[in-house]
Amino acid sequence: MAKHRGKGISAIEYPTGMNQNGDPSQAWIKVKPDGRVDVFSGTADIGNGAKTIQSQIVAEAIGVPYDWVTFDNSNTDSSPVCTGTFASRATFVGGNAVLKAAKEVKLKLLEAAGKEMEISPEDLEINDGEVSVKGSPSEKMGVDEVAGAAAYGHGVLITGTGAQLKPYSEITNSATGEVDSPPHSAISYAACAVEVEVDDETGEVLVLEMTQCYDVGRAINPALVEGQIQGGAMMGLGLGVLENSYPYYPSVDHRGAQYNSYMIPSPLDMPKVKTIIIENPSADGPYGAKGIGEMANNSQPPAIASAVQDAVGIWVTEIPITPEAVLKALEAKNAGDDSVRRDGKLVSFDEELSVNTVASGLSWSA
Amino acid sequence: MKLEVNGVNREVRSEPLTPLLDVLREELDVTSPKAGCHAGGCGACTVMVDGKPRRSCLIPVAAVDGASITTVEGLGTPKDPSAVQQSFIHHYAAQCGFCTPGMVVAATAYIDGGGSDDKDEIAKAISGHVCRCTGYTKILDAIAAATKQTEFDITIIAPDPTTVTIGGSE
Ligand code: FES
Ligand code: FES
Repeated sequence: MAKHRGKGISAIEYPTGMNQNGDPSQAWIKVKPDGRVDVFSGTADIGNGAKTIQSQIVAEAIGVPYDWVTFDNSNTDSSPVCTGTFASRATFVGGNAVLKAAKEVKLKLLEAAGKEMEISPEDLEINDGEVSVKGSPSEKMGVDEVAGAAAYGHGVLITGTGAQLKPYSEITNSATGEVDSPPHSAISYAACAVEVEVDDETGEVLVLEMTQCYDVGRAINPALVEGQIQGGAMMGLGLGVLENSYPYYPSVDHRGAQYNSYMIPSPLDMPKVKTIIIENPSADGPYGAKGIGEMANNSQPPAIASAVQDAVGIWVTEIPITPEAVLKALEAKNAGDDSVRRDGKLVSFDEELSVNTVASGLSWSA
Repeated sequence: MKLEVNGVNREVRSEPLTPLLDVLREELDVTSPKAGCHAGGCGACTVMVDGKPRRSCLIPVAAVDGASITTVEGLGTPKDPSAVQQSFIHHYAAQCGFCTPGMVVAATAYIDGGGSDDKDEIAKAISGHVCRCTGYTKILDAIAAATKQTEFDITIIAPDPTTVTIGGSE
């Protein structure tokens, strides 16, 4: 009876957003006469930072300070449609919508500034809340002055709208399932490496260390995306060894009858958590971003399963890897029965598609 | 019954066995303590009762008649946040925010009790609080930073994430 250590690694790929079935996000932006920017977008922020990130995108695209931007997603009357915060789509799909709207706003601001400054809008640029002449930065006026002139002088409301939609794909070959448009947007890649300790007497799996490495495209807000990866890691740990809503599915026996009896990881279950962010820009995300919300908790369970195999030589093919499952598999192994080992579902890997999206030579331009 | 809630004297008319949590949220409209499990298991309802962190879902209001209650609103305001609150903001220690009021109250009690910046100690101190979103790393960072200061110091900043850039991004 002893404790055994083992290491495991897993690698995954994941597309961003809902693909092939029409999945819009829309946004509109108006500029107040004092140059402050109001963004209306339907993206709900459930703690993923959608408001922050979309505001950052707008500020960057127009060329105004971040704190000039307010973001209103408070109701479906004032905000255009967004199918929601799911499928890792808030930064990518919602972000593209606000980006398009912001670009339109920028053009209109430049046009109004051109009128005021009597110069062609093409010769102007906007940086940090100021419109200036390209190559002659001292000739400038504030975005607030431009917006004021538009409202009170030109009688113009500066607005922009943007919509992002992955079009519906038709199946063109029913035998292969081939579709007429690229099936996936901005595929992200990730890997997770873990070290575990397995107690062969109690069957308990203790995760000691967990390193996740995520290709996020572009980390628009590194602290937020890091938080998402760290949060996903602990969810993945929960899925891997603790969380079991129906332990004897399809029977409901011993199902957690209340919130308290569904075990999610507590601070005491924390292994050493390390996060590595890889910036491998996508061709079609805002500033090269991809979405990793959903995949953040997908890489840990297989890495844990593989580490358990490394530690005690058993394959547990169902998660969570509970003490019960470990002991059963150990018993079977000791009895010389290896039928417990079951091959997982075969997943075909489309090399061409994946290689195309690995952006070694890809560049993204705003 | 009477309660002093965040420095204000309040009259309470709920039934004596009503959980303090429900009195705060439903009768007195102090909604920062969250009702997660309503059974003592999640920590989201934690408030200070006479300066000590307590799970308000487990306390019949009659048992704390006359007590002074501090919720996260009583620790600081958006304009004048406490060191712990500011540290949580600075370290991105909240995502959905559901666990945050309880975490901040627990962290404040830990620091008031002389707690150190040792992450294992902090994890123990908040072990009765669950968070679904953050994975705790940034919460531990925030509390550790807050142990070192009563006034929040912007120069003690969050560590930069490890970022590797491949491919052209510009
Ligand atoms: S609501 Fe009180 S501990 Fe969960
Ligand atoms: S931030 Fe969502 S539960 Fe902690």
